[in-house]
Amino acid sequence: MTTIACGLLLIGTFLYVFWPERNIEAQRTKTRLEYLRERREVLFENLRDLNFEYRAGKYPEEDYAAQRATLENEAAEVVAEIDLLESDVLAAPQHT
Amino acid sequence: MPAFGSFALLVALALSGYNLLAGAVALRQLATGTRGAIAPERLAETARRAGIASFLAATCAAFALVWAAFTNDFSVAYIAEHANRALPGPYKFAALWSGQEGSLLLWAWLLSAYGFVLRVRHKVDVKLTAYASTILAAVQVFFLLLVNIAATPFSLVTGPIPPDGNGLNPLLQYPEMVIHPPMLYLGYVGFSVPFAFALGALMMRYPGEKWIHITRRWTMVTWLFLTIGIFLGAHWAYSVLGWGGYWGWDPVENASLMPWLTGTAFLHSVMMQEKRGMMKSWNVWLIFSTFMLSILGTLLTRSGLVSSVHAFAQSSIGNWFWVFLVITLAVCTFVYILNRDHLKTDHKLESLVSRESSFLFNNLVLLAACFTVLWGTLFPVLSEYVQGNRVTVSAPFYNRVAVPIGVFLLFLTGIGPLLAWRSTSTRSIRKNFVIPAIAALIVAIAVIPLGVHPWTILTTDHQGAFYSWVTFMMAAFVATAILAEFLRGARVIQRHTGRNLLSSVVQLTRRNTRRYGGYIVHFGVVVIFIGLAGSAFNQSIEKTLNYKQSMSIGPYRIECLDYSQDSNPNYDTEFALLNVYRDGRKVTQLAPELRFYTASQQPSTIVANHSTLAWDLYVIYAGKDASTGQPVIKAFLNPLVAWIWIGLIITVLGTGVALFPNLSAAVAAQRSRVTVPDEAVTAGRAGD
Repeated sequence: MTTIACGLLLIGTFLYVFWPERNIEAQRTKTRLEYLRERREVLFENLRDLNFEYRAGKYPEEDYAAQRATLENEAAEVVAEIDLLESDVLAAPQHT
Repeated sequence: MPAFGSFALLVALALSGYNLLAGAVALRQLATGTRGAIAPERLAETARRAGIASFLAATCAAFALVWAAFTNDFSVAYIAEHANRALPGPYKFAALWSGQEGSLLLWAWLLSAYGFVLRVRHKVDVKLTAYASTILAAVQVFFLLLVNIAATPFSLVTGPIPPDGNGLNPLLQYPEMVIHPPMLYLGYVGFSVPFAFALGALMMRYPGEKWIHITRRWTMVTWLFLTIGIFLGAHWAYSVLGWGGYWGWDPVENASLMPWLTGTAFLHSVMMQEKRGMMKSWNVWLIFSTFMLSILGTLLTRSGLVSSVHAFAQSSIGNWFWVFLVITLAVCTFVYILNRDHLKTDHKLESLVSRESSFLFNNLVLLAACFTVLWGTLFPVLSEYVQGNRVTVSAPFYNRVAVPIGVFLLFLTGIGPLLAWRSTSTRSIRKNFVIPAIAALIVAIAVIPLGVHPWTILTTDHQGAFYSWVTFMMAAFVATAILAEFLRGARVIQRHTGRNLLSSVVQLTRRNTRRYGGYIVHFGVVVIFIGLAGSAFNQSIEKTLNYKQSMSIGPYRIECLDYSQDSNPNYDTEFALLNVYRDGRKVTQLAPELRFYTASQQPSTIVANHSTLAWDLYVIYAGKDASTGQPVIKAFLNPLVAWIWIGLIITVLGTGVALFPNLSAAVAAQRSRVTVPDEAVTAGRAGD
């Protein structure tokens, strides 16, 4: 009984590990564009949080304005780079 | 079954070893662009599958050991040592982790279970998960080597098979012991996952902070398990050890606290990395330290390096752990040095009065607490090494340092959410701090007539009352700050949706579960601190009680109704029946016990506790007076203890909320439209 159980475990795991898989997930390296899109989402979320906290009366007007300007500038830089990279991506097939 | 268990462990080791080697080779080939006989993608896939299959093999081994316990297979030395025929079913199950070999098998099994989930969910980021899976496989190999070579749970007894086993340690025969160790181990083991992701992300120079987002739930779940494990342990110590307290700064208790402290610091500081791209190196080292402290905790618990009432297994496996710790530290340091330029901060600290600085202080305070605990725990070992004699560090040392640190941490819990990111203006501070400060002042005055006299610190060495007073004051400050956060946010929702306040609070929480779940956790911490503050006013009394004799403590009078003895196949017991009166009225009957376990020939105290929100009346049967044969009863009056367990429940609920995904902005908007008058909706549709 023990031998059968051991045999089943060994054969079962061996078959599972080495069974030929047709659809293997590719290990892609993250692109700069993907990174920037993530960063953009974070900045937009930070802006939403700031707006909400301001509307909740947590920050005075001048603090809010200063923080919002900083975040918007940061977001603008990221969005500009995304636009640039996206236009490069769109343009790439036309060159080929 | 023992042969099958041993074989399954061997298979698990082979599979984990393959996962490690094939995974590492595939990652190397993919990184350098080289190709071997097998395509690297296919090799990586077989490595992932081997990792998944190792879970099946480890499960078979764990099942074999539990099966041996339930079938009273005393041919297995571990079962003969830790179980017996009369042991109730749940405790036979608990035998899996009651000894060294079993608990290491539990470690290996839980690790393979975490690895299973990680590898199955690899599509979240295939490449990053491949790195994490390979690192996790290395940890798995270590633990599987231990249970295959150094601490084998399926060793057979030498000589004739004993008819019955030695039984489970009596201290472990308590319901919480069935869930406390697995919880603690789920916590310890779980930190391997964020560690693996962090190290993997650093190795592959992963761009951005998405790895934190991927591991956020892992870290929170792990932290939750560790928190529950620590508190269940405290509750077990309170209910079983019979010394009237719940935390004795025992080395093994400390071992669980250390990764909890650094893990808590990590949970806070990663927010700075996610939001502002700051403290990247700090965070990486925090999670490295947390993992290594988890290993150190297991080392302390299992190697017998330090003396402890909780160290149920002692042996020479310490060397294995030291080697593993040194290798881990070397790998982490090497990978960090190689890739430290990747961890350059995106922003610098702009102001000392900001959310970032509050996180930084929070981290420094938590690390100071961790260092204190580490120093106190290892001091006996270090003193023996340097001076030749072991100097033990006792509770007063820890209390002197940890209590002020804890109170300051509580203060930071309150001020952190009130500060703005980047910098906070004086006007903003005034705006947000006034109400919590007033609440703190009111409570500071209100508790004085209740007997909390902080000025006793000036006339006596007793600092407890002062720290309790400060804690109550801080608790009021933090609770008010949290309440204000909820109210402010809910009012915004209320203005936009017309919902009532309660519904708005629910909506607010669902919109940002992480933040508001976090506030609930903070509130739980406040409640726990209130419970801890009560310990400054503990009282106790010990007296020999004959029939109808009584003794008084606080508002209670305890009268001995009877004392007797009983026995069952598992243990003999002596107990007293005590009636408890308050203001002349009987409030309850208590029956503290002293058990003597037959198989292990060891005694165990069963505490009788009458718990209310104000205090616990905690009574133990301390044996019989040698001269009179009458029972010796020791009673403790411990104020506010119940709040510690209530605080834990709130903390668990808060973490549960934080684990829920946010209600998306779109759904929130859709919901809010429901309250818009019908004619407006019709007009809108007409416009379409």
